[in-house]
Amino acid sequence: MIKIWSMKKNEEAAGKKKPKTSAAQIRVQKGAASPLLTQCVLSNIVTIDLTELDLPSTMKTHFPDPADLLNFSLTITPDEGMYTGGAFNFSFAINTNYPHDPPKVKCTQTIYHPNVDLEGNVCLNILREDWKPVLNLNAVMVGLQYLFLEPNTDDPLNKEAAQEMSKNRDQFLSHVKSSMRGANIKGVQYTNVLVQ
Amino acid sequence: MTDVQANHDWEGRYYHIDQILDAPGPRTDEGFMAGDGVKDFLRKQSKILVIGAGGLGCEILANLALTGFKDIHVIDMDTIDISNLNRQFLFRPKDVGKSKAIVAAEFIMNRVPGVKVTPYFGKIQDKDDEYYLQFNLVICGLDSVEARRWINATLVNLVDPENPESLKPLIDGGTEGFKGQARVILPTITSCYECSLDMLNKPTAFPICTIANTPRLPEHCIEWASVLEWPRVHGDKKMDTDNPDDITWLYTVAAGRAKEFKIEGVTWSLTQGVVKNIIPAIASTNAIIAASCCNEAFKIATSSAAYLNNYFMLIGIEGIYSYTFEHEKKSNCPVCGGESVSLSISREMTLEELIDLLTERQDIQIKNPSLSTPTKQLYLRAPPQLEEATRPNMFKKVSELVPDGGEVTVTAGTLPFSLSIDLSFT
Amino acid sequence: MNDSQPIETATTSIQMSSGAPDAKTRRYDRQLRLWAASGQAALESARILVIPATATTTSILKNLVLPGLGHFTLMDDKVVTGADAGNNFFLDGFKSIGKFRAQEVVNGLMEMNDGVEGVADVRNIREALEIDKGWLKTFDIVVAHNVDSVILDDLAALLWPDTHLVVVNSAGFLADFSIHYREHQVIESHVETSPSLRIDQAFPALLEYAMSLPLDTMDITDHAHIPYPVILVRALEEWRREREQVSGPSSGKGVPRTTAERKVFKERIRAMMRKFDEENFEEAEAQAFKCWTPTVIPSEVRELFNLHPSSASSSTTFSGLVSGLSQFSQNNPASPQYPSGLLPLTPSLPDMKSSTEEYVKLQKLFRAQSEKEKQVFKEYLSRAQVDVNDATIDQFLKNSHAIKVLKGREWKEINPGAKELLAGKLSTHTKEAATHLALAAIRKLRAKSVISSLEYVSSPNDTAMTDILDKDKLKDLLTAEAKSFLPPAVELPEAEWLVASGEVARAPSADLPTTAAFLGGLVAQEVIKMITKQYIPISAGNAASSTNDQLGICVVDLVETWTGIL
Repeated sequence: MIKIWSMKKNEEAAGKKKPKTSAAQIRVQKGAASPLLTQCVLSNIVTIDLTELDLPSTMKTHFPDPADLLNFSLTITPDEGMYTGGAFNFSFAINTNYPHDPPKVKCTQTIYHPNVDLEGNVCLNILREDWKPVLNLNAVMVGLQYLFLEPNTDDPLNKEAAQEMSKNRDQFLSHVKSSMRGANIKGVQYTNVLVQ
Repeated sequence: MTDVQANHDWEGRYYHIDQILDAPGPRTDEGFMAGDGVKDFLRKQSKILVIGAGGLGCEILANLALTGFKDIHVIDMDTIDISNLNRQFLFRPKDVGKSKAIVAAEFIMNRVPGVKVTPYFGKIQDKDDEYYLQFNLVICGLDSVEARRWINATLVNLVDPENPESLKPLIDGGTEGFKGQARVILPTITSCYECSLDMLNKPTAFPICTIANTPRLPEHCIEWASVLEWPRVHGDKKMDTDNPDDITWLYTVAAGRAKEFKIEGVTWSLTQGVVKNIIPAIASTNAIIAASCCNEAFKIATSSAAYLNNYFMLIGIEGIYSYTFEHEKKSNCPVCGGESVSLSISREMTLEELIDLLTERQDIQIKNPSLSTPTKQLYLRAPPQLEEATRPNMFKKVSELVPDGGEVTVTAGTLPFSLSIDLSFT
Repeated sequence: MNDSQPIETATTSIQMSSGAPDAKTRRYDRQLRLWAASGQAALESARILVIPATATTTSILKNLVLPGLGHFTLMDDKVVTGADAGNNFFLDGFKSIGKFRAQEVVNGLMEMNDGVEGVADVRNIREALEIDKGWLKTFDIVVAHNVDSVILDDLAALLWPDTHLVVVNSAGFLADFSIHYREHQVIESHVETSPSLRIDQAFPALLEYAMSLPLDTMDITDHAHIPYPVILVRALEEWRREREQVSGPSSGKGVPRTTAERKVFKERIRAMMRKFDEENFEEAEAQAFKCWTPTVIPSEVRELFNLHPSSASSSTTFSGLVSGLSQFSQNNPASPQYPSGLLPLTPSLPDMKSSTEEYVKLQKLFRAQSEKEKQVFKEYLSRAQVDVNDATIDQFLKNSHAIKVLKGREWKEINPGAKELLAGKLSTHTKEAATHLALAAIRKLRAKSVISSLEYVSSPNDTAMTDILDKDKLKDLLTAEAKSFLPPAVELPEAEWLVASGEVARAPSADLPTTAAFLGGLVAQEVIKMITKQYIPISAGNAASSTNDQLGICVVDLVETWTGIL
């Protein structure tokens, strides 16, 4: 034990860098201490992720509670492609095991899209099977935006929409347009997503 | 016998261990105090915390007790399940449903006289820094990444350069089937658990579109039942993977889907395995890894021999393969990486002035920094809404935002890692 | 998971019950996911003998009793001392002192699992060696820890080769162990090599199917879901036909060989895409190497054919199966044009980008072909009058690409034999060999009276154990003994020997709780592998291989924390 303790002393004496937080400071915050400290690690990771977001004008984040960085929404307003004119909302929930676990992303509207189902599930590889801790929120957001430019019909989540898109493109485009206006198509009531 | 019962140290009790403690070996550090000095520290002064009283925890507790640690604490939030009995050897069928920590502690105290095991039936997050500061060493036998990250960050943060005893070695073990690993983490000195986060195996996840539309494997059908059908049918009701009725529901739904798609192999056991992400576990692998963890704890506590530097992995599938190596510290680790500076500023200085100061300082050279404290954001450069929300702070005095002696974390694109500032006011 | 079952059974079990497992299955769930019911049944019918009741052997037994070993006998004629009570978790502290060690330990172990039969035998092993030879041979495995070399020599000679002997030695932080068997067969090796899909030699139905697809006109969505093996077979066949036109019919079964050819071949696959992001074609490109990885019989399996020649009469089911495999490979009707032979096709397919329909279709093709080949294989078995049930045949064929037959060494072959081999190991595996020598030396000394004084004896005027024998004198004795294991001219490596002999001299009779627990896990893993015949235990190499440079000893150093194999 003594050996370990003297190691730390030697390290200090050699002028190596100090750890980030000192116990003195912890004592100052006593009471609130422990659970918050790791919360703090997580919020550092998320803060870096968020402040380094490099989003085009077509994407905006919104924080219902600006003090809570772990729950927010993203609005995508595509300026090209068939979904132009719509504003699509996604909820982001970051759990305490981020970035080991990916953020949970759902579409909060009912939309007509080959890769988003009517419950709001999104099929994007880096949200599930291809997530890695080195990825970040920016990668996820860029991936989501891409879905509106190039829907993937080969591996759809909304199979009917995908079939329509690959077999009857005109019909599909008209469904996209009317769904975005909030139409009811084949018994499904879509959300009006048009930019006001 | 009265004598023995009083101090529990009957004659010959430590015959085996004392061969190590009475004399140095060829790989023993000079600081080793052979004889009474080291025995006294081990048996009378040291205090050790065991996190987890499951597969590894049961083994760890038994080993520590025999090795001579006499003041042991154990934390576990779980209760005993019948599937634990193939390896968690301190539990019997009659204990099913009881707290693992409590039953394990009682068992050890009954079996090994003179050892005090203090159980806590709850979460590690319930305890504060004061609690963790009382131990010399922490051994983890956990199956949760999240809990490991938590204790790792907590112990790194406990380190006070002024007080060497605040450094609590963390010994972490994990197993899966015939494979396992043990590692020694000296918080702030060696690589920490967070440093190796990207080395971890992730549970297999299947593309959601495969699950929804092109299932091929029985696992795809099971995920369809659990990921898509459960929320659709049950709404907000949470799935309880420990409830056999819920597993049976998922199994029935998955088997129906498998039949529809002509996929073979959905069974109740596979369903349970997939939804609970069950990791196979056997007594022998746990014994190896727990022994290795306790052996390191013993060597570190007594300085009786060199200790593991710092990672040992073992694979017993094809012969016995093991690999011992030094896992390197990550300079940009969000827990143990980064640098810290002390800064003394005027009580009158505004946040904006502080940021200017940081930007101008040659040794820091920071561009467009964002600042936060452990509890709140002070100023975030982006995204716009948060910038707007925190902008008013710019004109406030730092002393109104941060307590004297408080910590401010600085992040910026130009920094490869975060910088932490210990602020004091003049 | 290997627990796939026919769909009929799966559906009936829903109707019959909820499908939830019984209490025993739940208790063993976490291990059944590794070795399944077949491994469990083997474990439950195994009988092992353990000598004597040390902390180490108790730890080994603990890890066998928990998973449900059939029977164990623990043999030890000693009574519990204070030292035993201090380092053995399964003794009842000082309350056990003075009672028979074997009996006390068995009592402690049996509390854990009432499905196991445990017997204490309070005789000395010497007595059993004299009067109960036949009984000793009734065990499947005998485990001996820190038993002196004279007894070991007799025991090993008696047990060879039918009962496997595990010899474990430890002193302080150092340990080694070896398993003595002649041959060990493993059908389910659980190694992660997948069987060949025979892309380079597609069976006729697969080839026909691949060539029948109207790639340019089929539905675009279907096109994006053609499984990659079909794409590869198609691409390879087209490549071959083109080459045949240029270079003549003899080039018909070639594959892209040069780097340039392979690059062009991959481009050809890419060119088959009708949209830029067809993931199945991307997967085919990534798997293109399967076209030029020839489907052959793995060399290890081929070597086995020599070990179990098809002409020899088959003494065991296993050798019958291997000789059937050998005949099949020589006369494979599936691809008679394939000179180096093939193993029967495995029916299982890995997952791949595909629609359910296409995947199931491909699965059916593979199953039909595999069934056809299985019938041929069974034909050979019945001709050789090998009596074996269908489940075993299926298990065997499923794993035939990865079956293993290991060889071990007889005890006397390495103790004190194999001097030259050990000398070689001293230069290639210096630390491991030095550690082994130090442990072998202390075992020798245990048989001599010098070291028996190191055994713990409780007496009122007992002095500290370390004072009894001077450490430097002990190191000298160890050095002398170690040299007897080496050819005369070979020197011990100075630094490594200083460490190994120093560690042993520091704690010559210490059965440390952590070393005991570590060994307990390691040896139990190996015993489970031996009993279940699943996974691969330590060995002296492949039985059929001509190389003979492995001793088959596992060495452990718990100061630097490493394990090694000699």
